[in-house]
Amino acid sequence: MTNPRTRSPSNSGKVSVNNNNNLICVYKLNRSIPSLSLLFQPTATRKLEVDGIRSKFPNKIPVIIESYQREKYLPPLDKTKFLVPQELTMTQFVTIIRNRMALLPTQAFYLLINNTGLSSMSLTMAQMYRDHQDDDGFLYMTYASQEMFGSASA
Amino acid sequence: MNSVSPSAVQYVGGALQEELLEGQRTGSPARRLPGGPEAATEPDEVDKLKAKLMSAWNNVKYGWSVKSKTFFNKTSPITVLGQSYLLNSEDEVERFHGAFVSRLWLTYRREFPQLEGSSLTTDCGWGCMLRSGQMLLAQGLLVHLMPRDWVWLDAQQLEDVDFEVFRPRSPVRAGGVPIPSFGSPRGSGAPPKSLTGQQVAAGGVQRKRPGSARDRQAELHHRQLLSWFGDHPPAPFGVHLLVELGKSSGKRAGDWYGPSVVAHILRKAVCKTTEVNNLAVYVAQDCTVYKEDVLQLCEPSPSRDKGPQISSNGPQISSNGPQISTICPDTTWKSVIILVPVRLGGEALNPAYIECVKRILKLECCIGIIGGKPKHSLYFVGFQDDQLLYLDPHYCQSVVDVTQADFSLESFHCSSPRKMPFSRMDPSCTIGFYAKNQKDFESLCSAVSEALSSSTEKYPIFTFMEGQGQDYGLEGPSPAGPTHILPPGRLSSRSSSTRASTDDFVFL
Repeated sequence: MTNPRTRSPSNSGKVSVNNNNNLICVYKLNRSIPSLSLLFQPTATRKLEVDGIRSKFPNKIPVIIESYQREKYLPPLDKTKFLVPQELTMTQFVTIIRNRMALLPTQAFYLLINNTGLSSMSLTMAQMYRDHQDDDGFLYMTYASQEMFGSASA
Repeated sequence: MNSVSPSAVQYVGGALQEELLEGQRTGSPARRLPGGPEAATEPDEVDKLKAKLMSAWNNVKYGWSVKSKTFFNKTSPITVLGQSYLLNSEDEVERFHGAFVSRLWLTYRREFPQLEGSSLTTDCGWGCMLRSGQMLLAQGLLVHLMPRDWVWLDAQQLEDVDFEVFRPRSPVRAGGVPIPSFGSPRGSGAPPKSLTGQQVAAGGVQRKRPGSARDRQAELHHRQLLSWFGDHPPAPFGVHLLVELGKSSGKRAGDWYGPSVVAHILRKAVCKTTEVNNLAVYVAQDCTVYKEDVLQLCEPSPSRDKGPQISSNGPQISSNGPQISTICPDTTWKSVIILVPVRLGGEALNPAYIECVKRILKLECCIGIIGGKPKHSLYFVGFQDDQLLYLDPHYCQSVVDVTQADFSLESFHCSSPRKMPFSRMDPSCTIGFYAKNQKDFESLCSAVSEALSSSTEKYPIFTFMEGQGQDYGLEGPSPAGPTHILPPGRLSSRSSSTRASTDDFVFL
């Protein structure tokens, strides 16, 4: 069964291969290596994995955090899978991820739920999980900074 | 007429429009389009023409849109910074005109003094987000310093616009009635010949001149405000200083800037300047406005925000300069510009947020949004239907020496309103608000919260929270590393064979 999710970890790898810019290409390929382990993992396997981990740690939320496929400014995360205490608020969670990346408070950092919507900072991970968990049992988030603007002049 | 200057008008067919063009020709010889056959015949115009051609080329290069006309329909209201206009009457068109033309327009400039640490003497091609940021700040300063209903009395008439109300098929104004918003009140003393006196009066071409003391005062402020954005190093909000302040964010002259970076640059610029009293800028982090942090920033304690050194040196400084001394008796609540950098989607704008963005632009406390189309920054000031109304900085103009007492204001105002569909809006942007005082801030919080809750997306774009950021673990002492998250050994153990077990997970 093929994976219907467009935001699966494999996606960022694919896009970077198509990227014309060699520098970014290499960078992105390197970055996507941690998620390569998930590349050919079908939904069923991931579901089993989640079931296993949920039974061991029922109070933890399984979260996959991936880089936005065109992200150029934020450093790559060393890991993509997280087990997060369910009572943690999004604010606290974001702070932890920011610290992991050693970002300055003034650096733009957004966690997009399912790659489309902003999360609400006051909600707990349990609430987020209830509303947005994927079919495979993971909660998927994409991190991105902001785009830069300027004319592509010669 | 293939000029691409903002005054380029490409009239589509129709007797009415031709007549209008005629009206404009007779009415405004001073603003005749460059590149027309008449211009070339005048020898002193040749140099000007060359310059205009160069500028036209630059503007093609930097993405100034060559679109001929912007169409405004009369049945749905157009919103400009909290005010709505239904363009089905001349009065309303006139009000819209005043509201749009009075906004300050900061564009690319060339031939300004070299930027420190680079050989650049222009921001063409890279500074558009800084310019959009300047426009946002300028709007904040306008509401801070000027009467709310201020309009620029010397404003040019709108160009490149097509108000549906004036189309021949409109039953209200059928057949060849001149558009009051065309024809120029400036340049020539006489009103356009094609307009009769009555029509002129109806169209407001004979506007009231700045006669009253209040008007003169406002014009002084207007001029002073623009001079703060001058393209030379001493200007408190000029591109030179903004580039300088961006260096701590890792930006240099020539780099591209983002809406969040610019928000922080503006915050630093306002904090640094002694020109503007009683104004602070708050930049939200992680889509959250902490009310207590805003209140602290604005409360009348002199030790805040301007730094303790000013308060301790207070008497000494005040004896040196009258401008600084006015900050020291800091007894009133500061006004505040609240900037919220957001990202409204991944690759493209999440359509669920469009309604919310509209609601925000309808608020009187909103001072606009800096963002743009991908790679092309714009300053959004309003919307009509599914189109955003914007000011575009991608127009390369010669530098204006703002130190001259009577420098020309014309290039700092835009007379061509433009629109673009929401669907092309880049998701990265910074939303701006202004609150005059504490009471204003309280009502801002409730009005904005209400607008935010209208999103069809599950969660609001951003939220207001009671308390301070540090209460939520945001600003505490930064941990030395991620050691409290993971045992150090764990971090480096990235082995590919771990996926079967829980080792693959990071425990938080």
